[in-house]
Amino acid sequence: MHEKAHDAELMARIAAQDQAALRGLYARHCARVFRFLLRLVRQEAIAEELTNEVFLEVWRKAGSFEGKASTATWLLAIAHHRAVSALRRRREESWDEAEAAEIADAKDGPEVELQKTDKAAILRRCLEQLSPEHREVIDLVYYHEMSIGAVSSIVGIPQSTVKTRMFYARKRMSELLKAAGVDRDWP
Amino acid sequence: MNEDNTALTEREEIEMLLPWYVGGNLDATDHDRVERYLAQHPEVRRQLELIREERHQTILANEALPTPPAGALEQLMASLPGRRPGLLARLRASENYRNIVERFGPPAPRAIRYAACAAVCLLLVQSLAITALLVKDNGAGYQTAAGKSDGEGLVFLVAFTDTASTADLTRLLQDFDARISDGPKPGGIFLVKVRVSDASPAAAEALQRRLAARRDVVRLALPAKE
Repeated sequence: MHEKAHDAELMARIAAQDQAALRGLYARHCARVFRFLLRLVRQEAIAEELTNEVFLEVWRKAGSFEGKASTATWLLAIAHHRAVSALRRRREESWDEAEAAEIADAKDGPEVELQKTDKAAILRRCLEQLSPEHREVIDLVYYHEMSIGAVSSIVGIPQSTVKTRMFYARKRMSELLKAAGVDRDWP
Repeated sequence: MNEDNTALTEREEIEMLLPWYVGGNLDATDHDRVERYLAQHPEVRRQLELIREERHQTILANEALPTPPAGALEQLMASLPGRRPGLLARLRASENYRNIVERFGPPAPRAIRYAACAAVCLLLVQSLAITALLVKDNGAGYQTAAGKSDGEGLVFLVAFTDTASTADLTRLLQDFDARISDGPKPGGIFLVKVRVSDASPAAAEALQRRLAARRDVVRLALPAKE
């Protein structure tokens, strides 16, 4: 709660064009935003550029922040929209699951082959093979610890779809694990 | 991919909630619903272990990622729309900066020079009352004289107004072919050296009046010797 109060105070100061407050907010959330973007766009330079765009938008629109969602949720919602737009522009990575899996498979090298013997490494590799939208929901729930409502706000989909998307992301991961030789006996 | 949940069984509905149940961010109603189901169907608890494992590996995968590179923040700050350059940036952008930096120039470390420039700016806003008192104090202040020349020009004691901007100062110095030769001294007084062809007392007096007439920039102008 204290963290939220601190964020709320920073947002109020940013709305008053306080640059020190923007620096403070950046220090608190830049890693979260950058990593979220990097997992989606997969290129550091683009993730860095989009991270700056996110905080620039915060600078411009802090006055319209109502505090209904947490600051982190708001930041990731902006980041989501920026990433989707960037991916559409680039057309280098579609939101198609099979295509994403192909890209990941094409990266197989000796290191990856070695990792296939380690269950934890296999699981991480399967996470990478998920489609961007499945990877995104997994990251939001497991890493960013977002509630169903928060994921709904960030991604812009109904809460029921958040739950099913997470469910099918996990199912897809089980399928990938099974294909890699790890049968979890689920689903 | 099917995200339509109309055909889901109760077990699937519960399984859909488990990632948030494990993360501890399920609302009270759904949390109780999951608890009741798990009590009746203990075999589903095995799911929790799978989710914890997925969660753990997801966290590891994310934590292994880099953070924004050094310098990204400054790049962001520099790109803020309508951003007014900081005082130091404005000072550095002015021609007068060279004069000031020369006073603290190499071999002084850069940080010390910046600090000195900041001190100059702060002292610019010293009060008129303090200035007047110091000028009157013949022991600790500066002796006034009738247009003393150091061979290169006439030196004046000048205090600037609180509202004078760096651009105003630069313009004034350009108008008078002058430069800041020392300062700030206590009371926010600078020694300003004006290049002149005529260093006679009459010319010095006229120059002092012209300086003092620039009331938008000059708070005090007196002929002086160091």
